[in-house]
Amino acid sequence: MIKRKLTLIMENKPGALVRVVGLFHQRGYNIESLHVDPVDDFTPYKFIEEQLETKFKENEISRLTIQTLVSDSLMRQILRQLNKLIDVIAVSNEETTYLKGVLLDENLL
Amino acid sequence: MGTKLKLSGADMLMHALHDEGVELIFGYPGGAALHIYDAIFRQDKIEHILVRHEQGATHAADGYARSTGKPGVVLVTSGPGATNAITGIATAFMDSIPMVVISGQVASHLIGTDAFQETDMIGISRPVVKHSYCVFDANEIPKIVKEAFHVATSGRPGPVVIDIPKDMTAPDNLFEYEYPKKANIRSYNPPVEPDDNQIERAVTEMLNAKRPVIYAGGGAIASNAEEELFRLNEILDAPVTNTLMGLGIYPATHHRFLGMLGMHGTYQANMAMHNADLIIAIGARFDDRITNNPSKFSPGAKVIHFDVDHSSVSKIIEANIAVFGQVKNSLSAIIKLLETKLDQYNKDTLQPWHDQIKNWKSSHGLNYELYKDESDENPILPQAVVQHVYNITEGKAYVTSDVGQHQMFAAQYYHFDEPRKWINSGSMGTMGFGLPAAMGVKFAFPDEEVLCITGEGSIQMCIQELSTCLQYNLPIKIININNEALGMVKQWQDMNYGGRHSQSTYQNSLPDFVKLAESYGHVGIKVEKNSELKSALEKAFSMKDRLVFVDVYVDPAEHVYPMLIANHSLEDMWLSKDKKT
Repeated sequence: MIKRKLTLIMENKPGALVRVVGLFHQRGYNIESLHVDPVDDFTPYKFIEEQLETKFKENEISRLTIQTLVSDSLMRQILRQLNKLIDVIAVSNEETTYLKGVLLDENLL
Repeated sequence: MGTKLKLSGADMLMHALHDEGVELIFGYPGGAALHIYDAIFRQDKIEHILVRHEQGATHAADGYARSTGKPGVVLVTSGPGATNAITGIATAFMDSIPMVVISGQVASHLIGTDAFQETDMIGISRPVVKHSYCVFDANEIPKIVKEAFHVATSGRPGPVVIDIPKDMTAPDNLFEYEYPKKANIRSYNPPVEPDDNQIERAVTEMLNAKRPVIYAGGGAIASNAEEELFRLNEILDAPVTNTLMGLGIYPATHHRFLGMLGMHGTYQANMAMHNADLIIAIGARFDDRITNNPSKFSPGAKVIHFDVDHSSVSKIIEANIAVFGQVKNSLSAIIKLLETKLDQYNKDTLQPWHDQIKNWKSSHGLNYELYKDESDENPILPQAVVQHVYNITEGKAYVTSDVGQHQMFAAQYYHFDEPRKWINSGSMGTMGFGLPAAMGVKFAFPDEEVLCITGEGSIQMCIQELSTCLQYNLPIKIININNEALGMVKQWQDMNYGGRHSQSTYQNSLPDFVKLAESYGHVGIKVEKNSELKSALEKAFSMKDRLVFVDVYVDPAEHVYPMLIANHSLEDMWLSKDKKT
């Protein structure tokens, strides 16, 4: 078990955060720490806007970081489960980013 | 022209459902849903079916969805209406069935005040839905309905809840109605087309396999991939097994069909999976009822896994090749490439494998000899009931079932040649599913034979729907395999708890099911002797316009076999009460 950091970019919608937190509980994953902020500078996420052919507006998206204690095999499963949540736009760990249906081989968030 | 329709939230909801192609809603009214119910009254495009319990509504919508492939629609009120729907929503979620559940909610200003019939439906349903919406602005109703149906039916299907506070549907507030042509959810993009590179790798493995097995499940049915699967195996000529959820996706009477695999799968299916060198998993997810102990699962096999859901692949069993996309599209791509390489493939190399399977089948296939002696000195065997039903209906009926021994006997002995005809709660294992699910199927296919193979335990969990069947004249046939006990629980107690039947029998408290059926306005038939069985079933099926409840008393001591031995491999099975592999 290693402490790993996950970063999520998600829609800032009512109930979105509880879906993420709930998923951790439901699937038996553990949360060491959690931090959420609204995103006001979209510059780092231009690639997401391009990929999804969208334009983020103020207060539309949040950035969430979660520290979790997991094994490597479970890490992949957590990423895939988070990626499946409808309100999650992108999720990454140190090596990988899932951007809605696309798997990218580096941490871009 | 040009001026948009001005409608209330409730009327917009009905218009949106109609524009989405909805024909039927299963539901139950109550305070928070009354504006919507008034809108239902004032329209004639969508039929509403009044059930007797909200669980029945969800299972009926589920049966409709499983048999047609179209999403089932449910309407319930807030509070108890919403919570009663949860079991049915969870059932649909676990089996990936498209469903849209609309729940009334207390008015916006009352949310959070512990108002009458208030419950946090979004919260309580969250772990068992694919997604959910709460309406905060009535203007958004058309957009939310469009999105809900898109999410429910695309990718890996599942239930979606729309929770609507009562003020959002108030008759005095009018809005311009326009139904969106397309749902546009930027954060949702399930895979459709497979990756060419993975297709190529998969084909190479298929061409080189000596002991391949095709293992197809409910995902292949959800993707309507039966033609592609059939064509694929015209080329490969591999043995095929189906999961409980996948029965019918490959014709059960085909000579390459091994039967169901897993906990109560056939000997040959489990043996073939264990000894395979290549497992071609198609819309199946290596559930714990399939793998037994994952560390001992099929030690020599490579795995190609076709699935639309990333998180289902390499979750339990590591896939060597993962092909993400709609299974139908992925199989089409495989077939296209295989057809260019037919000269590299010789079916005859599989002959030793087929010979081996034939040996397994003949040594311990499902034991038909059990039923040779059908004299009245012997009790009726539950397997024989299913076999007679199969013969009388010529294998063409829609069969729903509940959960327990009767469900396994139905899966083993009713041989489905077509998908969407076997309707059961596979993953959730919800008792009470069978009768309301059969109602949903009968609404979708009024001219087809629809029957429910159930047990005296399960049928009592949604028995109230017999009243719905009378109101809407649904001539379903209910085959109650009555062993006067919770058979599967009792079987486990026999095998693992020294025969201590803790709370699995009823101490002579069962109702007279014939009188019960009659009091609901239907026909009841009781069968206690082998000599009466066939004629009673024939009589039941000859009554085309009546619901007939056939209560068949069977051998209470009978167990379901084969049965996997817990924590071992797929090779380790009980074959009868005193014999294991």
